[in-house]
Amino acid sequence: MSRFGSWLILSFRLHRWEVLASAAAVALLSAAMLWFAWQLRTLAGTDPGCVDPTAYAPGCTQLAQRFYELSSKAEWLSYLSWMAPFVMGLVLGVPLVSREVEHRTAGMAWTLSRSRAWWLAMRIAFLALVLIGLLLVLALVSEVLASAVFPNLHLDRDFSWYGRRGGLVVVRGLSALGIGVLLGAVLGRVLPALLVAIAASILLFTAVSLGMDRWMESDAIIQPFGVDRAGGRLLGQRVQLPSGEVIDYGELQRRGLSYEAIQDDRLYAKPEDIGQADKIIGYDRELLVPGPLYPQIVLRESGLVGGTAVLLALAAAAVVTRRRPR
Amino acid sequence: MSTGLPILETHDLAKRYGRHTWALTGIDLAIPQGGITALVGPNAAGKSTLIKTWVGFEPPTRGGVTVGGIDPWKDRSGVLALVGYVPQSPALYDSLSVNDHLDLAVMLRPNFDRAYARRRLDELGIPGDRGARSLSGGQQAQVALALALGTRARILLLDEPLASLDPLARREFLHVLTDAVRSDGATALLSSHIVTDVEQACDRLVVLGVGRILLHDSVAEALASHLLATDGAAATDSEAIGSFAGPAGERLTLLRRPTAAQAVTNLRPASLEEVVLGYLASGRTSPAEAAA
Repeated sequence: MSRFGSWLILSFRLHRWEVLASAAAVALLSAAMLWFAWQLRTLAGTDPGCVDPTAYAPGCTQLAQRFYELSSKAEWLSYLSWMAPFVMGLVLGVPLVSREVEHRTAGMAWTLSRSRAWWLAMRIAFLALVLIGLLLVLALVSEVLASAVFPNLHLDRDFSWYGRRGGLVVVRGLSALGIGVLLGAVLGRVLPALLVAIAASILLFTAVSLGMDRWMESDAIIQPFGVDRAGGRLLGQRVQLPSGEVIDYGELQRRGLSYEAIQDDRLYAKPEDIGQADKIIGYDRELLVPGPLYPQIVLRESGLVGGTAVLLALAAAAVVTRRRPR
Repeated sequence: MSTGLPILETHDLAKRYGRHTWALTGIDLAIPQGGITALVGPNAAGKSTLIKTWVGFEPPTRGGVTVGGIDPWKDRSGVLALVGYVPQSPALYDSLSVNDHLDLAVMLRPNFDRAYARRRLDELGIPGDRGARSLSGGQQAQVALALALGTRARILLLDEPLASLDPLARREFLHVLTDAVRSDGATALLSSHIVTDVEQACDRLVVLGVGRILLHDSVAEALASHLLATDGAAATDSEAIGSFAGPAGERLTLLRRPTAAQAVTNLRPASLEEVVLGYLASGRTSPAEAAA
């Protein structure tokens, strides 16, 4: 057998249960998503006019209702595809080093290997390959489901189901894998490492999410409430002052501009001011990343998260090189 | 047999765990190339710690170590190329077969001699398709030894591999080790707290007690240069090393062989175990005291 084949088989045997569990989860989730996609497409095929929420044709009530119900259930599946990369990344990553330390196989493996970094690279490479393969399937299937749920949207220019479909599903999984490997290497015990890694993942991805929102603000536009978002991503609410300056609500308060009444998108200090143009404090606005920026934003976050994954793997290598086996 | 050139060395090696627990206290040791050296001492004497500093698993708190002249903390891969290591309790991968372990070794170390390791296991009748989980303790130890031997390393470091084996498995293990070392001209350091096991296999003896070296000599010289005094005879002699209780509760004292001028009665040759016990008795001070 070739060295590559031998590496694949041995690596699989060392991670058999994690890999099989992850594959089974992806298979089940993908099958469910494809079933919903098929059902939704069948309904949409019956009468395409009935699944366009902007223009329901008369007599569509029953079909539209059924489509809505199925879409709602499909939405739940999309949340699972959002969560899957984190769960799979941690399930595959945490035991890599921690189980070796816990089961005392690290001493043998590390002295057999030409270097610990080489040992880790070989092990991570296999898990990364498995993860990429499985999450690619999930990413593609979730795109298929999204296109069935939103038959009238151009999903390549739309932030709907952001992070629940496409390439982000894959890179987020790699990043979770990096967290799992690193914390497994630091703690050297599977269960504690898993618990800490879950907490660390939540913190890291919250930080990435907040950071991305700040980053996207430079690309965002201001638009009045109620205007079609056209696939854009809502970042938050802002106030546009009569001078044209745009500030957030916190800043509005800090400037002592309290308001007690809103009509349409206009803010007034007191209810009795409503309707008086010269008493308008400001206008309620949406901060929106335009839909056409979707590919660019996905690429940007993929770069950030993918870079984090590489850094985590390098940190794990540094820990493995220095840590003592039991 | 040893050539006299040191291949494993320590220089004022001290290792402390936490703030107060000294495992090793200022050890200077030079193990010559070739043959098998027994590293003997009671539990917690620091045997594993000493071996782990050579493998690069434990950084010294003070002093340094070299393996074939290389400092493992400066060039770990250089040291690992020289060393085959058998850990204390041979831990194999439950999910892999014996042959899988050999394949894994080839994957991790491209110059691993799989055929040699396989042949060693064949001689012991250990089938390659058996899962590691289903092997007996003795067989697992043999697989761990075969993995270390397959590296064709010049130095074998064996960290109490006999501790959990039954007498027959111990004998087989030592036979394989002795045969491999003799035929390959390697150097082996075998740690154990069971002296009788290593007596037949080893050329040299290092007695480690409470973190320091109590004796380092060839087995032949250790036997030739010590005598045992029974029931207090010569117990106050300046050549007395240490006293301990005999099998029947009698007081035994290990002596350096007296000069011809000294007339001491009730003496008999000491066994290797008695030599070790005498030195261990002499070293009953705590590592903290020794470190101070």
